[in-house]
Amino acid sequence: MPAPALRIRGLRKAFPKVVAVDGVDLEVARGEVFGLLGPNGAGKTTTLEIIEGLTSADAGSIEILGLTWEQQGQEIRSRIGVQLQSTSLFNKITPREALDLYGSYYPKRRGTQELLDLVQLEEKADAYHVTLSGGQQQRLALAMALVNDPELVFLDEPTTGLDPQARRSLWDVVRRMKGEGRTVVLTTHYMDEAEALCDRLAIMDHGKVIATGTPASLISELAIPSVVELTFEGAAPEPAAFAARLGQAVERRADLWEIPTPDPKTLLPRLLEAAEAAVVPFQQVHVRRATLEDVFLHRTGRSLRE
Amino acid sequence: MEWRLYARDRVAMFWTMAFPVLLLLGFGTIFRDGGGPKLSVVRVQSAVQSPHDAALDQALTDLQLKVQTLTKAEAEARWSRGETAAQVEPDGEGYRLRLNSYLMAQAGATAGLVNQAWLMAQARMSGAPEPQRIPVQVESPGHKRSTNYASFLLPGLLGLNLVSMGLFSVGMVNVSYREKGKFRRLAVTPLPKWIFLLGQVLHRLTITVVQAAILILVGRLVFGIQNQGSFSHLLLIMTLGTGCFMAFGFALSGFAETSEGYAAISNLVFFPLMLLSGVYFTLDAAPAWLQHTVALLPLAPFLRALRAVFNDGAGLAGHGLGLAIVAAWGFAAFLLAVRRFRWS
Repeated sequence: MPAPALRIRGLRKAFPKVVAVDGVDLEVARGEVFGLLGPNGAGKTTTLEIIEGLTSADAGSIEILGLTWEQQGQEIRSRIGVQLQSTSLFNKITPREALDLYGSYYPKRRGTQELLDLVQLEEKADAYHVTLSGGQQQRLALAMALVNDPELVFLDEPTTGLDPQARRSLWDVVRRMKGEGRTVVLTTHYMDEAEALCDRLAIMDHGKVIATGTPASLISELAIPSVVELTFEGAAPEPAAFAARLGQAVERRADLWEIPTPDPKTLLPRLLEAAEAAVVPFQQVHVRRATLEDVFLHRTGRSLRE
Repeated sequence: MEWRLYARDRVAMFWTMAFPVLLLLGFGTIFRDGGGPKLSVVRVQSAVQSPHDAALDQALTDLQLKVQTLTKAEAEARWSRGETAAQVEPDGEGYRLRLNSYLMAQAGATAGLVNQAWLMAQARMSGAPEPQRIPVQVESPGHKRSTNYASFLLPGLLGLNLVSMGLFSVGMVNVSYREKGKFRRLAVTPLPKWIFLLGQVLHRLTITVVQAAILILVGRLVFGIQNQGSFSHLLLIMTLGTGCFMAFGFALSGFAETSEGYAAISNLVFFPLMLLSGVYFTLDAAPAWLQHTVALLPLAPFLRALRAVFNDGAGLAGHGLGLAIVAAWGFAAFLLAVRRFRWS
């Protein structure tokens, strides 16, 4: 049996003011799309940069494709593909040149035309990098991560700052990577992205992994698989009094109340009755399945986007 | 690749190529006739023009001084603006010389000539035979034909341009690219640092050679300056020098975190190098240990070899040690650059 794509034990990294990575253990199997989900500052990027060899760790061990940085650094570099959080290229380089150039650094390389097709950049192949849109630049960065036909690909927030359409087309590329049998490790702070793309996830907060599993198992492990939402026009009122009357926890988000429940069927009639009695000026009622957002909220008491 | 990107940056290209040419054109035109800047003296008019005034003026002109005759008020105004180096004023029966302490080199030489002129004028007035003067001949140190100022300037410009390119532009660009994270993406590839740095040095080398070719061509077409030595020697010296100072730039860039920091560090290296290498003054009066140390710096042997070949048509014989010093510095700096280089 081949070594796992990635195995990390006790990884730790402290910066002068903050412990960015605080004892992280991870194991990623070959062929898997693995997500690191967490809010900004959770330590996702630092973890990734340590794995990629860009930053040194204070403690812990890393094995990549069964190799270690100390022993086989050059071999690791030639077998992994990396997309950095921001790929800063020379302004006046074209995608075709960038792929040719970066390809020339590797012993094994994929054809430039093939990569351009893969990320749908044929039309912009000879345009200067500065003239590309954010989505196109990200797709180029993705193609560059594949230039050496890597077994393991690291993507750091591949869709941050992109519009929904650009995100979808990037997701397609990630799915194609998986289809080609590559292992993908990505970071994101979008739960929908994690749910849509990842086979398995690690949720990170304050430098620690607080939960690991498939998106479905993480959600079903929650005792409260459903959430009832009352939406208001404008800001939601203070729910404390209403929560007491209902005998149930009510959380206030910007313009809505969230009431987590294992059993929405019996809650709903009680809820509507109580709301009418208390003259709560809500607009709509929604019942939805719990999401990774709720998992995060439940584990940390904070929202992902805070 | 780098070269192609560079060519696209039209503004940067224009200035690197055009600036030394403009300098050469500017200085070359100002000092076109004769050897270097001409000495000038301000002559304050006497209230009444006497015979010895006329004799002095004649003698000053004979000695090739540029004489500017002004009234007392005009001369005073010019003096207080600090533009006058030396000024002859009537004082009783004779004259008085006023020298500007800020421009002593020029003023001192002028004073000597003025005194000589006055001796000549006195002799002429008394009907004595013309005093004999020791004949002066202007020559370049290589004993070849004496050339004009522009041809003296040209190798200096080549050399200086290359040093400043190495120390300032190359290192600065390197630091600022690192600051902007342009190298981070390279760090995750198997590309070794030394190949990357060597590529950068070679890239800059081609630019410098093109730049030098343009400068030499302009010098030849506009001022008729010929390269007196062989072009292959010139190329060898330029290549060594460029390599050396580029490596310097890269090595220094490894010590600076930010571009501001780099500016300080490079000046710290550049000015002592410049001042101690005999570019501006000779170090004959300096203590022996300092002279020995300075002899080991790379700038002076480089400029000497460049001038010897370009202006005097000398071969490389006698410059072997100097060029070896340049090469050794370059190699050491390159090793240091590779050691200190960080991708981010």
